[in-house]
Order: sequence, then C-alpha cells, then structure tokens
Amino acid sequence: MVSGGDVPYLHVVDDDVYGDWESVYRDNVDRLYRLMYARVGNRADAEDLTSEVFSTALRPLRLSSSKGQVRAYLLVTAQTVLASHWRRRLGQPVTAIDPDTDIAYLTEPSAVEVASDAPARATKILQALPDRYRRILELRFLEACSIKEAARSMGISVSNAKVLQHRALRMAANVDLELGP
Amino acid sequence: MSNRRLLAFVDALATGRRPKRFRAQPEDAEMLRTAIALRAARPGEAAPTEPFVEGLFQRLSEQAKSPSMPEPRPARRLRVRTVLVAAAAAGLLVAGTAVVTEQLHHPAPTSAAAHVPEGSQLRTGTFQTTDGQVLGQIVAYRGHPSWVFMNVNAPQYDGTIECMLQVDNGATVAFGTFTVHGGAGQFSKALGEIDVSQLRGAKLVSSTGSAVAAATFAR
Repeated sequence: MVSGGDVPYLHVVDDDVYGDWESVYRDNVDRLYRLMYARVGNRADAEDLTSEVFSTALRPLRLSSSKGQVRAYLLVTAQTVLASHWRRRLGQPVTAIDPDTDIAYLTEPSAVEVASDAPARATKILQALPDRYRRILELRFLEACSIKEAARSMGISVSNAKVLQHRALRMAANVDLELGP
Repeated sequence: MSNRRLLAFVDALATGRRPKRFRAQPEDAEMLRTAIALRAARPGEAAPTEPFVEGLFQRLSEQAKSPSMPEPRPARRLRVRTVLVAAAAAGLLVAGTAVVTEQLHHPAPTSAAAHVPEGSQLRTGTFQTTDGQVLGQIVAYRGHPSWVFMNVNAPQYDGTIECMLQVDNGATVAFGTFTVHGGAGQFSKALGEIDVSQLRGAKLVSSTGSAVAAATFAR
C-alpha cells in the first residue's frame, strides 16, 4: 500500500511547447504514420488511421501543453483508434499500441530508428523456418510477389503455394510468439 | 469460410492492398500479426508519402478554419462515430494524462474533446500493493462532468474489483466495480457529487473482500 504522505507525480520537466498546431502535425505525422504502418502492414489503413488520430486529437489540443504531453496524448488517441480499427475489421485485437513501450516512436529523434527492429525481427522469424516455408514468406512479404509469381518461382502449383504459405505462416506465428514482444 | 477469408486478407497484405474485414478467430489473429510484422519489414514502405502528408494537412487546415464543422473523415472511408466516442474522449483525457504522469513526468494539462483540463483540475495516483508493486494508475479530473479513470494490471487475476474512494474527512465511498480479464482492466466513471479536491485516495478490493492495492492522490 502507499504509505506516508502524498507523492508529487506531476512534474514540470519539459517546458518545450509547440507554437501552433501545424508544428504539432509536422513534428508527429511521420512518426505516427510509421507506428500505424508497423501495426497494420498496409499503406491505405495506415493513412486512414493516422488521419483519424489527428482529426480526433488536433482540435481540442491545448498548445500550452508540453511536447511530451502532446505526444503522449497523440499516442493514447492512436491506441484507441487502432483498437477500434481491429474491432471493426476482424473482431480481434491483432496488434496494439502500448503507451509504455511505443512512446519511443514519438519521442526518439528518428522514428525510423525505432521501427528499424522490424527487419531484424522478421529475419529472426524467417531464419527459424524450414527452407521452403522461409522462401514462400520471403517471396510474398518481402519481395511482393503474387501467389502465382511465388508458385512459379518455387516450381509448385498455385494451390500448393497457398497451402505452403498457410503452413509457413502458422509456424512463423509460433516462432513470433516464442520471440515475445 | 474463415480460411478463404484469411487467405484473402493475407494476400491483400502481401500485395499492399487494403484487407477486407471478416470475423477472425484468435488463431487467425496470431498469423495475421506475424504477416503484418513480415510486411512491415519490407524496405522502403514504412514512410508516409508526400501527397498524403500534404493532403491531410490541407484537410486539417480546413477543419481548423471552420470551428463548427464536423471532424474531417479519413480519405477512404466514412467513420461511424457514436456516443461512445464522447465517452472515449473523456477516457482519453485521463488515460493520456496517466501516460504523461507515469511515463514522461510532464505537467498535467493534456486535453481532449470539449473537456480541457487545467493543471489544478487533474489529480493522479499510483495503485500499489502492500509490498510496493505498482498495479496501475488512477486519475481524477474536475470538470463538467468530473471523472475518475483507473487502469489495473494485476497478473494472473481474473474477476471483479471494487474501487473505494477515500475523501478528506476520512469517509470511504464505494465508487464502482469493474472486471479484470487476464490481469488487465480499466474503469472510468463520472464522479457525481464528489469534489475532486476532497479526494484523498482510493482502494481496490477483490471480490473476496481482500485489499488488492491502494493509491494516494498527489496534491
């Protein structure tokens, strides 16, 4: 239990503020988009969700808030927007934004650096798979091949490619789970 | 047929198209999470395009010029906004503030929706167990209406938790009950007649009556 007196949780440690909402937008749009893209994996949805975050958050923003506060608010808005997206799209929380860990997307000097662990993680997943499983996933997700192109490249039928992809993805998901967050 | 829809979803992801909705199963979600992780690793596609950045900027500029206009819709689809959005906005206010106070240690006045908090309108506390383990946060916001929001992360706990608010005169008020699923839960509720400035702390009590955690509001 908390004992003793009150604990001052609110500290003014950063009085760096945005001058106007355009500054808020310019400073965060790239970072927010990258975060959304990492969570949905396609440009169309990432653009829509980024738009929704700004549409929801910008109007009521108090510009006297510090940059840190504004980013935290944007991130929490993004968390809710993404959760709603998956509820509508699949009825399952496929991916999520964790304010504890994903704040780095908005606070680090370059969101590119934060997102740069995606290739490393993908490599770990792929390296744990048998050759044919790894190859079908590389062709589809990294080399942007259609299922027909992937089948042709591997010398198998389209039907076999679909089955192979499904099994490969299932095994990759298990590897992904073992790797943890 | 879930497999066919799952395959279509994966195919859309792989080829960079917008996937269509379907009712996924939990095991589907695991596969799709991995598919997204693989897709997101494709070089050169994680950055926004200039037309998108500028187009959104223009739409937001128009929104800013017309205070009475409804929020602009995303470019590709109409969003269904319900009353829940208003409630969520109030939740965002305090959730956002919890992030601020706990993660960034920045000052209080993060704002949301029509309820823009001032520093003096927000009071926060951290739920801790008797052995000092942090279980969550609580934020009280004085406004119209006044709200309390709390989140709890109590690993391996499933069940109901009752929140008791403590006020300055020593009285304890049963504030509400919420459910924790898989160790996680959150709860928000209007404060009603309780004055935020009179709040001293909060206690969480399990369904068996045992104390789970307590928080003291910072002044």
